[in-house]
Amino acid sequence: MRDEGVTRIGGAGGFWGDQVFAPIDLLVGADLDYLTMDYLAEVTMSILAKQMARDPQKGWATDLLDWLRAGGISLLHEKKTRLVTNAGGANPHACAEAVLALACEIGWVDCRIAMVSGDDVLPLIDDVLGGGKAVEHMDSGDSLFNVRSDIVSANAYLGAGAIAHALEKGADIVITGRVADASLIVGSMLHSEGWATRSLDKGKAVFSLVEEWAPDDLKNPLDVLAGWTLAGHLIECGAQVTGGNSSDWEVIPNLADVGYPIAEISRNGDSIITKLEGTGGSVSRRTVAEQMLYEIGDPTSYMTPDVIVDLSKTKLKKAGKNRIKVSGTKGRAAPPTLKVSSNYRDGWFTAGDLVIPGPDARGRAEKTDLILRERLSDLEGIEIFTEFFGAGASLPIGLQHLATDPSEIIIRWAAKSQMRSEIIEFSRSIAPLVLTGPAGVAGYSARGRPREQLRFFPFLLQRELVEPRIQITMMQTLRLRLKEMDSRIDGVLTRIQKMADGEPEGLWRRRVARRVLRRLERPQVKN
Amino acid sequence: MGVIRTQLSTIAHGRSGDKGDLVNIGLIAHRMEWFPFLEKCVTAEWLKEIFADMVTGEVEIHSVPGIGGLNCIMQGALQGGGTIALRKDAQGKMMGQVILQAEIELDEAEAKKLGVPIPS
Repeated sequence: MRDEGVTRIGGAGGFWGDQVFAPIDLLVGADLDYLTMDYLAEVTMSILAKQMARDPQKGWATDLLDWLRAGGISLLHEKKTRLVTNAGGANPHACAEAVLALACEIGWVDCRIAMVSGDDVLPLIDDVLGGGKAVEHMDSGDSLFNVRSDIVSANAYLGAGAIAHALEKGADIVITGRVADASLIVGSMLHSEGWATRSLDKGKAVFSLVEEWAPDDLKNPLDVLAGWTLAGHLIECGAQVTGGNSSDWEVIPNLADVGYPIAEISRNGDSIITKLEGTGGSVSRRTVAEQMLYEIGDPTSYMTPDVIVDLSKTKLKKAGKNRIKVSGTKGRAAPPTLKVSSNYRDGWFTAGDLVIPGPDARGRAEKTDLILRERLSDLEGIEIFTEFFGAGASLPIGLQHLATDPSEIIIRWAAKSQMRSEIIEFSRSIAPLVLTGPAGVAGYSARGRPREQLRFFPFLLQRELVEPRIQITMMQTLRLRLKEMDSRIDGVLTRIQKMADGEPEGLWRRRVARRVLRRLERPQVKN
Repeated sequence: MGVIRTQLSTIAHGRSGDKGDLVNIGLIAHRMEWFPFLEKCVTAEWLKEIFADMVTGEVEIHSVPGIGGLNCIMQGALQGGGTIALRKDAQGKMMGQVILQAEIELDEAEAKKLGVPIPS
């Protein structure tokens, strides 16, 4: 049953690499107002920035195209579900172009795509550092100055405001760069509940504090924002709230066909977390509670660009089969700073593994490790880390007594060094252990390639430095652009379309008409 | 009456994840009335001692009374951070399930009164 007065938002993926068909399932099986997709982890922006430096068409989450091509774009069009995603990564423009081309392929020539950018603050860093201001690591306090030359990317976590304005401007699809995960959902709510309309009426800037956009008679806008944010946090990791990664894995039904989450979000900030009907998995107080605490810090102060969330008193209540009501979340005004996620180059890495049988698998494994280390003892800059899986590698020192004597072990080595050559040397030394170590060593696969390491460096920047950079750009076909400029063009377009479809007869005219129509599908950008 | 020894999983379930170089473990009591047991057993010192070789920084415990849960934050838990950790579990995803195997002590009378299953 569909409740009136709630906004239905799907969370169709937890990371870049999640099950590609999940958004299709949600679009087919549910009537959603918005479909949200989070693709960006802490290190993803750096990988995307490196990709874009090599190829100006890359630098975004290409998984998006896989499911849009497999029917997703038609479903969005037919069901009028708006897509809000941070798949744009380091290059929302290239992402939007690719998506618009797909839309045109299915005849959706009046599709409007909004790009949200301004999260890239790399150009700002030198100004800030040059102005003599210290920029410190959020946790360790280390200075950014010392690693400046190795920084690959620096992206501020933008909030929900730009998404809401983009939707308000008529976007069918919103493609962003680094936006806080939950803000994808909060931005959708600001649009759905009319806060965005009010903000435009009142002339509020895209980056103004979103609580100022609330209806005047709303007493607790910060609590509402906090509730929406928590709903976003709960569904932004996909199936982690519907039975995936649950301590109850033994009893959760049909994980093979696990359903992805849907949040039914109310105007007062409460929400119901549920999933697609007829799918596997389960939504219980237990699955929701685990996801509620997932990757958060102080539960009284979960920081987002939109609001500080206090979920310490939040209540979870069963509201039907696979339906959990979330209420009682409190909010405080967002901090004057935005978190920036940056990464810098920090040497090279690779890993490799071998298996080894018993009896005395542990003895054989230790001996093998010793031999490898002796052979590499002349490498001065390398750090090698060894784990014996099967023999207690997951157990910290205080639980080592739980390790049992295994019948076989996977030895796993990982190494890092500032010198690429040392990593290559390390990688070459693993295979020979099969013939030159203890008896029965096996399982060698391809030689591990050296991979450049990126070290995470989060820091805070004053909002007023970042916010003026935030930009919403609309992308649409030339055809739609012309139509917006002069509606009389419609009649002309209809005639060209008829010619292209073969009426009246005439091969040459049809070819020309088709060519014109193709040209009219070219992406046009306006700010 | 004395104390009984059982696994943490008898009274709680949980999940762990990463942020930079820290790992957080969310633990939730199976029943609201067992939450005081959880608060008593899981202390920063206890976690620090168990994870002494894996966690180099501070450990903080935050209470989440609304759901009968604790959020345990362990700094310096990922060898410098998930993107550069040498450990296979570079995101600390195993730690939550690992700690549920740890032995805890409960007051026998209270445990019986509140229906905690007693190991035979």
